Amino acid sequence: MMRSPPICLFLIGAMMMGTGKAVKATAEEEEFREELTLRPLPDGKVAAHFSFSTLLRGAVPRAPSSLGTDDTSQHYSIFPLALGQILREHAIPEFHLTINSGKWDYDRWGHPGEPGVGSGAELWAWMGDGVQRETSIDERWKALQNSLSGLFCASLGQMHTLHTTSPARAFPPTGDLPRLPAPHKHSLRHATLPAERVCTENLTPFLKLLPCPARAGIAALLEPHKVFDANWHGLGVHVRWRAGAGVELVLSVQAVLDPVRISVERRRDWSLRSLFDRSIPRSCNIATSSVVRVMLPSASEGGSYTLSPEPWLSTEDSIASYDLTNGTSELDIAMTWPEEQRFSYPLDLSPLSDLSVRRTLKGSSQTHGELSVVIRNNQPVTVRTHYLETMPWHVEFFLHTLGVSCGDGTKCDYLFTNMAYTPSQPHNKPALLQATIELPPHETVHLSLRVHKAFLRYQEHRPDAQRGWDLPPAVFVPVDAPFRRIYTSALLVDLATPDFSMPYNVIIMSSTLIALVFGSLFNMLIRRFVVVNLDDEVSTSTQ
Amino acid sequence: MSNHVDHGLKEPSTLTFEQPRTRVWILTSYLLLVFLAVPLWWSTTSIERLSLPTSRVDSLGSKELHLPISVAVDIASHGTTSDELVEKLQMRFESRRQDIPELYSHLEFSVNPFRGSAPPDAYSVSLTEDAQFPTIQRRHLSVPTHHGQCPRIVNQAPDLLLSLLTPYGTPSPPGTFRHLVAKYAPRYRLAFTLLNEDAAAGRAVVGWDVADMISRWISPVLKQTSELHNFTVESQIKFYAPLAFEPRVLSNGEDVTYGLSQENLKVFVNSAEWTLASSVSNDPVLHFVVFVPSISHTPLRILDDASQPISSGAFILPQWGGIVLLNLPVDTPSKLRLTEAELDHVFSGFRAQLLRLIGVSELPPGVQSTDPSLPLTDFQLDTLYRQRAFENAGSSKETLQSIVKLVDQISNMPVGQDVRDDVLEALSALEVLFAGFWNVPALALQHSSRALTLASRAFFNPGMLALLYFPAEHKYAVYTPLFAPVAVPLLVTLLREVSAWRKTRNRANTT
Repeated sequence: MMRSPPICLFLIGAMMMGTGKAVKATAEEEEFREELTLRPLPDGKVAAHFSFSTLLRGAVPRAPSSLGTDDTSQHYSIFPLALGQILREHAIPEFHLTINSGKWDYDRWGHPGEPGVGSGAELWAWMGDGVQRETSIDERWKALQNSLSGLFCASLGQMHTLHTTSPARAFPPTGDLPRLPAPHKHSLRHATLPAERVCTENLTPFLKLLPCPARAGIAALLEPHKVFDANWHGLGVHVRWRAGAGVELVLSVQAVLDPVRISVERRRDWSLRSLFDRSIPRSCNIATSSVVRVMLPSASEGGSYTLSPEPWLSTEDSIASYDLTNGTSELDIAMTWPEEQRFSYPLDLSPLSDLSVRRTLKGSSQTHGELSVVIRNNQPVTVRTHYLETMPWHVEFFLHTLGVSCGDGTKCDYLFTNMAYTPSQPHNKPALLQATIELPPHETVHLSLRVHKAFLRYQEHRPDAQRGWDLPPAVFVPVDAPFRRIYTSALLVDLATPDFSMPYNVIIMSSTLIALVFGSLFNMLIRRFVVVNLDDEVSTSTQ
Repeated sequence: MSNHVDHGLKEPSTLTFEQPRTRVWILTSYLLLVFLAVPLWWSTTSIERLSLPTSRVDSLGSKELHLPISVAVDIASHGTTSDELVEKLQMRFESRRQDIPELYSHLEFSVNPFRGSAPPDAYSVSLTEDAQFPTIQRRHLSVPTHHGQCPRIVNQAPDLLLSLLTPYGTPSPPGTFRHLVAKYAPRYRLAFTLLNEDAAAGRAVVGWDVADMISRWISPVLKQTSELHNFTVESQIKFYAPLAFEPRVLSNGEDVTYGLSQENLKVFVNSAEWTLASSVSNDPVLHFVVFVPSISHTPLRILDDASQPISSGAFILPQWGGIVLLNLPVDTPSKLRLTEAELDHVFSGFRAQLLRLIGVSELPPGVQSTDPSLPLTDFQLDTLYRQRAFENAGSSKETLQSIVKLVDQISNMPVGQDVRDDVLEALSALEVLFAGFWNVPALALQHSSRALTLASRAFFNPGMLALLYFPAEHKYAVYTPLFAPVAVPLLVTLLREVSAWRKTRNRANTT
């Protein structure tokens, strides 16, 4: 037992009473803005998009050449130090991490506020070359995954080379990249873990990065029980550098909530309290701006609704805005459809997105299958889109079987251009198929491709081997609107799985076989043959 | 086969594959195959286990670090007094070594008189009449005589020197200071954090001149201790940092004060809610926290054992860091930026806490340094070097011994080339350290720090964890089903061949 008290008071003389000085709001180096966009959807659901952006004014990403030497001291006020350390330590000018659960239904919900809605975890980063081997892009990519795993309690560490690709065409930098000295350049690393699920243990550290976590401002609405009860939910962390402005961090939470499901009368009326179980108690006084926007439904789909309280700022017809920046009172927004007794699901929903994509893996065999992608252009104009397919090595494409056919069944290979294919390396790297597809107005295009399913090594199977392997979603990136990416659903592939439960039976069985073969062969080789004269014996015995 | 009957068949023993010689060949080649496969089996199933220099590590046990301290007494001015002083010093130092051997057994004192200029690397003491206070200039201590109070000086000067060169143990009771000191690491992160208990409740500190304050108060210390540690400095502001407990309410008429009892201080850091930990490096972090209580907890004071608020608002958490409470006055604006005036005493507090945490001893009361711009005197620095070198030598010795013991005990533990290299290098650094006689304590520190770093790197080498452990039962379970059925025919044939050969030989002998 320790006798001495573990706390030692240390007198420093004066009493700690300070006198403050009011801040000049203009001279701030760091700026925090928060915004919540609520969008009632035609199918009765409500899409919520929380966006918290912090701008570190005047900051410049660390040059990769300075890695290995001591970094300058970092002083942050609003920008989270934990994330700042990661950015500095690995010299990352831009990265995007999203962890989502569920499948975003583009047809019914339209395009999301933040494009990264693929199922599972997705991480992509632009990085400059380092000088030494320890600071090479691949080493830092691994280190970045590990640091982010630690920060957000996610298993991103599994994103090793098996999942990493570099599809620079589909994921261009969203900000600027600093200049590098001549031979060095920036390159992209991208990885997806479709099986990763987002949960409370990811949201808790996420909220701690916010200046007003869970007590004030719109972050107060992020109550885990409600957010993770939503039909679709996801977290996003986006860091980019804008020349002239500084390093920008955007933390986003998106959710598609279903007021009809939680309402007893099956109505689609919603309020902040019904959706999130709480209202906004007070504004976050750190935020430079704090706005809640409600996208008003159009007359055709919405019926007659009322919105309370009256919007404080209403700049456009279809958007109602509430500015919380200096508000101190509680805010609860409610939208009701007084004339509607009960919400009836619309039966014919016209798709809200530019493209509709359906991707499936066909075939019941454990060795072969067929990948089928159906793309429909919902617009009256021709759309050109990049198509990106990342496939782990254990599903191999037979590229010669690639077939493109139009809605009426005719072959239309000419729509499929600019194809680039990086074959997979068995047990190591995934395959990457990139192409440009031209979609005529209102046309449906079918892609089909036969695949071979590999036989895995004993150690390559995961602990839940019988579950199958998740394949990452394919991505469609319209050429004209590179930030309106469309993710297809993730797939599950069933590979041949050995029986892991009987290693000793297998050992004994094969040993017995070997012993049997050896024994008979050996006996045969050393057998001594003797001629026995049967006639003699017969004659002697009969005599 | 004595009676030959013509049955149209060949005698089997005349066939080529029935020759006894062929049979022996077949048998030998099988046996040869088994013997040739043994090295392959051995190399694929054994683990890399390089030998460690066990005897050299064992012989470390008897070795000790020797750090000489030579003190030179100026006898030019006060002849007899100085002579007495020399004697007295020698005596006091010796008794000090014997009183607290666990801390000072490695020090070797020598006290010599000198005239004129002091020998280099020695701590010199001189008696002066004109000074008011004892003063320190580099490695020189001048003690004022106060006109003829020689007997007092003879007592006072050794006390001063003792508490300068061997500060631990006295004057404070043992244990109150040493346990605060953070474990030695070549690199520390200093994390300065401004915590608003609840900024959204009305008042928020949104900025502070932390960079200026650090360069004014902290950087001089970091510069002086750069031989010991490298430092990474960082700072952040948190706007929501609730306490894990409710402070005591002390009402005194109109005024309400909130109090932190001694028990509260121990659990003050709410590690579940305050994310202060760093995720990018394994360097130990020393935290310095300014805590701004929310309006509903202002003013927040520390209480003494009698539940009375004390004037200080700062406290140290041992080996973790320091905390300063900053109560804002009632009329502060809702958003403010702290400036020099408020931060000066906070950071002077942080500096004092930092010095405690890295193990710098305090100057004895009344002693002044001639150069106030340097926060540490050479006496303090050298003492710290010696202390850290002593600790590091001890712990790297222990680490090496435990590696050897561990590897010895666990026969399945792999020992790779990198572990062996680290152990060897740590060992040679330690041997250099123990063999030397270090007049310059900073050099001893360098060697000891190197030994410690290498030894702990070897100890925590992840390669040693890849422990291949197969219980004997499993081995038999895997090997028996294959080897038993294969070995039986081989052995039986071997025996049969041997007996057949013996028989023929016996028959040949008898005939």
